Amino acid sequence: MTDARKLKSDKLSEADAIERAKLGDPLAFEALYNLHKRRVYSLCLRMTANTAAAEDLTQEAFLQLFRKIGTFRGESAFSTWLHRMAVNVVLMQLRKKNLPVVPIDETLETEEDAPKKELGGLDLNLAGSIDRMQLQRVIEALPPGYRTIFVLHDVEGYEHNEIADMVGCSIGNSKSQLHKARMKLRELLKTSRAEKAAKP
Amino acid sequence: MLSRQRAAQLVVVVVLVGVVLATAEDRKEFRFKVRKGASISVVNQYGPISVKAGARKEVLVTAILHSDKVEIDQGQSGSRITLLSHLLPGADATSGQVEYQIVVPADASVTLHSTTGPLHVEKLHGDVILESNTANVDLRDLADGHVHVKTLNGLVTLTNIVDGHVEITSLGGDVMLNAVSGPLVEVNSSSGRINYDGDFGGEGEYSLTSHTGDIEATAPGDASIDVTARSEQGKVISDFSLQPKHTSFPIRAGSAFAGTMGKAASSVRLFSFSGKIHLKKRQTN
Amino acid sequence: MTCAEFEQALPDASEGNREFEHEQHLRSCSACRSLVADLNAISQQARALQDCGDPSPRVWNSIEIALTREGIIRQPSRGELASVHRFPSRWSSAWLLPVAAALLVTAGVVRYERGPGQRVMPNAPTTTAQVASMRPEPSPDDRQLIESVALRSPAMKASYEANLQDVNSYIRDAEQSVKNNPNDEAAQQYLSNAYEQREMVYEMAEERSLP
Repeated sequence: MTDARKLKSDKLSEADAIERAKLGDPLAFEALYNLHKRRVYSLCLRMTANTAAAEDLTQEAFLQLFRKIGTFRGESAFSTWLHRMAVNVVLMQLRKKNLPVVPIDETLETEEDAPKKELGGLDLNLAGSIDRMQLQRVIEALPPGYRTIFVLHDVEGYEHNEIADMVGCSIGNSKSQLHKARMKLRELLKTSRAEKAAKP
Repeated sequence: MLSRQRAAQLVVVVVLVGVVLATAEDRKEFRFKVRKGASISVVNQYGPISVKAGARKEVLVTAILHSDKVEIDQGQSGSRITLLSHLLPGADATSGQVEYQIVVPADASVTLHSTTGPLHVEKLHGDVILESNTANVDLRDLADGHVHVKTLNGLVTLTNIVDGHVEITSLGGDVMLNAVSGPLVEVNSSSGRINYDGDFGGEGEYSLTSHTGDIEATAPGDASIDVTARSEQGKVISDFSLQPKHTSFPIRAGSAFAGTMGKAASSVRLFSFSGKIHLKKRQTN
Repeated sequence: MTCAEFEQALPDASEGNREFEHEQHLRSCSACRSLVADLNAISQQARALQDCGDPSPRVWNSIEIALTREGIIRQPSRGELASVHRFPSRWSSAWLLPVAAALLVTAGVVRYERGPGQRVMPNAPTTTAQVASMRPEPSPDDRQLIESVALRSPAMKASYEANLQDVNSYIRDAEQSVKNNPNDEAAQQYLSNAYEQREMVYEMAEERSLP
């Protein structure tokens, strides 16, 4: 039986794959990559809204992780460690590209970007009827700073204190910008729905 | 009468000198209106770049071009400013030199690239990213942001950098860290020496690693650290009496030590392949 | 409380810190009720978003190439692999003695079979002095890099040659260290750092770091 089939047939546990990877086993690395690639890629794609950039960042996150795999002692879940590393890789890339990582309170955003202050607004209730594909599309349309906070909190489940630490802003800023991101998404979803409804 | 003639002659001389200087060097000024969190990127192959905090909502750039063989391409998109010293055919390290003095809001982020430099940044709390070939790098009084420095052979000096993430990669340039503390301080050197003088505070992770460069770290007697120091081929010395701790590698006396002091709030790793490592205790007066 | 005041307090209120005033306003204002319901719906749907599919195969290819080049991927021996399954991840001292004894016996047998005058056991560590004395020629990639630097800035050629020698020496030492001690954290750190240095030299030489 070849190693590849043995790996699959044995349903290699993550813990075993990690130990084998520490010894340099190429199949173990591949197993770990396959186990986690989708989640890491999804995170990168949501934060950058660009497939090429997301692939590059996925590659970088895994490379950084595998280079340090010898130091993994199991104090936290492997997936948590990988996930945190992926977030840091994306944030670093956003910084390098001089894109706003910490969304600015004052209107760096253009008039177009800022959520409109229409309370109650359009006559179309969103609750209970949000299409996930549509939500995915409007997340991509968010300005980068809003998108970062929204993805980290609402999609990936990080708490505000964790986001504040990663991104380098205050907890208050993180909360305020999350609220603005949600408001902006609401506006985008309602506009999109209104446009659809208006079509013959 | 004589004094008037003298004065007239002096005026002529001054004007002539001014004309000569004006044709040799060209001074340009740019002003950019920006909002909070501005970012400034400067690419200047030859010549110094100095960035300081000052203006609240604008970026002020003063550039002195050493000849007409270089021009400045400048651009602005929102609060993102880019400046590029564009070398024209025939430019060299002398004629292609531009000296930049830039004043920015304190929360601005700055990215500087230079071959010869030197590069100087002070009093900011945005991110600072510097890349230098042989340029000396001098950073001081920075807080909160990410500080990334890459250099082949320039001397890197950091002074009073707090609460940020500091990552330095240096091939042959020495790295001097004075009063640098924060959640992360990482230095990766090949043959450059690493010299740390601070308190290893901020409950941070400190990692000073070199290939052949010596590592000297000076800390106070009441430092609160969990320290591991190893050298494959160099000598390793500690002035401190450490509480022993378990390690995953054998401790060979003179080649490694590991232990804790105080509450072990910060993690300190001093690794060198063949350089000497010395953890020194700061002398108090 | 006005709707504007309610909305201003929302960032904190939506985190479960809703005060009596806010609750009262919500009960009396359908517009703000609708707003809160919408924002909650967005947040809940966000958590349920599916993964975005797989990255293209080139991502894994690039990772594999990089890790192989850095010596992080290599074929472990059967014995090493077997030990992952048989032994617990944290070795207890009860195991050490018989394993150490077995290794000593094996070493003795091999040495006896080889006899005098033969070279040392295949896995014995090579000293870095031996490694350093075997300084190889620059690789084709390095030669190409130096040529490209020489074309662009002849004055920098010697400096880059020296930089590459420095960094390649680091890589060699680090690779030897990992070979001698595959599980040693410090050895892996050296190798990772050494490759990072090499990447930096290439980036600077090719001005890839420039925007």
